[in-house]
Amino acid sequence: MTLRYYAALGPGEDAALVRHLDSCPACARGWDSLRQTLDAADPATVFPLEAGVDWQEFKRTTVARASAAGHERRRTDREPLRVGLPRSWPVAIAAAARLPALAAAVVVTVVLLNAWLRPAGPRVARVPPFPGTNGGSAPLASLLESAHAMEDRLARQGAARYLSDSRSLLLNLVGAAAPCRKTDGQYDIALEKEKSRQLLRRQNLYEGDLRGLEDQRLATLVRQLESVLMEVTALDDCASARQIHDLREQIENRQFLLRIDLITREMQRRADVV
Amino acid sequence: MEEDDFALMAGVRSGRPGAFESLVERYQRRLYRLAFGYLRNHEDALDAVQETLVKIHLARQSYRPSGHPFTWAARILANQCIDQIRRRRVRPEQSLEEIPEDRPGRDIRRLVSPDEAPLERQQRRELGRRLREAIFTLPPRQREIFMLRHFGDMRLEEIAVARGCALGTVKSTLHRAAAAIRDHLVRTDPAFRERAPEGEAS
Repeated sequence: MTLRYYAALGPGEDAALVRHLDSCPACARGWDSLRQTLDAADPATVFPLEAGVDWQEFKRTTVARASAAGHERRRTDREPLRVGLPRSWPVAIAAAARLPALAAAVVVTVVLLNAWLRPAGPRVARVPPFPGTNGGSAPLASLLESAHAMEDRLARQGAARYLSDSRSLLLNLVGAAAPCRKTDGQYDIALEKEKSRQLLRRQNLYEGDLRGLEDQRLATLVRQLESVLMEVTALDDCASARQIHDLREQIENRQFLLRIDLITREMQRRADVV
Repeated sequence: MEEDDFALMAGVRSGRPGAFESLVERYQRRLYRLAFGYLRNHEDALDAVQETLVKIHLARQSYRPSGHPFTWAARILANQCIDQIRRRRVRPEQSLEEIPEDRPGRDIRRLVSPDEAPLERQQRRELGRRLREAIFTLPPRQREIFMLRHFGDMRLEEIAVARGCALGTVKSTLHRAAAAIRDHLVRTDPAFRERAPEGEAS
């Protein structure tokens, strides 16, 4: 009868079973009971949380992640072949290649500081540029561009670290919480509270950098994370099961872990590109 | 007309724009149900589905059209879930029964039909709880085959290939699983007890 329900009987077998069910009330009742059971086991009943997932958003993030993973694989597959060196060599070469950018940033900083700190006084007449040149502004623009690129890269690395640390905290919160020693039936979240405070402080420090990145998804995520972190810091060191449950639910409903994972990878990838 | 799975997978392999997106759209919910059957945790199930789909994208060239694409996807998902279960040290299994859905502050609008009366909703939730209980108390092999057929919509022949067993084994296992779920409901749900055949209601 189960096979009939799943349409896995041949036409002859099915007809024979139908004939039998017509003539046997006990088996007919058994068939009805089985059919009702399996009909009742519909996805909406068995997996109620499935309806709460934003599947369009899930699809979008999955496709983006897959695409990023594909690019990453192509990059890592290509590099050792092109260079023909052990894996550690390209890393060293890449690090060495970044040194000029670092030096450029230092030079720009010194130049700017010098201009800013120099006391106002009689100025020496500027030497006119040689004909055919733009008076040295092009190298300066290039230096400033390098400095901006480095700033962008550092901001992305900082954001990736911040998100990664936030993810660890959220994982602690959704994982098994330690029972509170002081009060039975409550959970000790003193450590998580302290970490939340630290993360909020770090977020204040990074705020300017994060804004400079002009990344709408990151901004939304950080804003939402901030509200969760503030909720954690507002709790007592010993939180009730309901409070922990509410936090877990919020983390789950907003798909924080998934989104953090995606955006962190994106930040790391773009930091590498920069 | 909707493109069949084989043609869609061929598109994914050849890198046709939009093909992978369509595949994700078509498979994500089916894979989620299977993943939930393995992991019993909503968040973990979502993670497993996403990881699986990323792996499918990366390994698309290794797919062989001799098997159904969903069979292949289900096998990758099963391996992913096994990996996650091995890695899972501290996170307890989340039971959906532990989640009170009607407490203040929870946005349940998306989870329930607006037309459903509170009593019906309560009955439906209770039935869902009993069904999950029945499914999760099945032996792992029975549960897997039941999930693949009932929620994964896989054909029995495909399940046999995916599980590496005979078609007859799949049929008998599926039958035992369905009977066990029905017996569980008959034992625990008064409405099902009334409709049960003579001799099974007690």
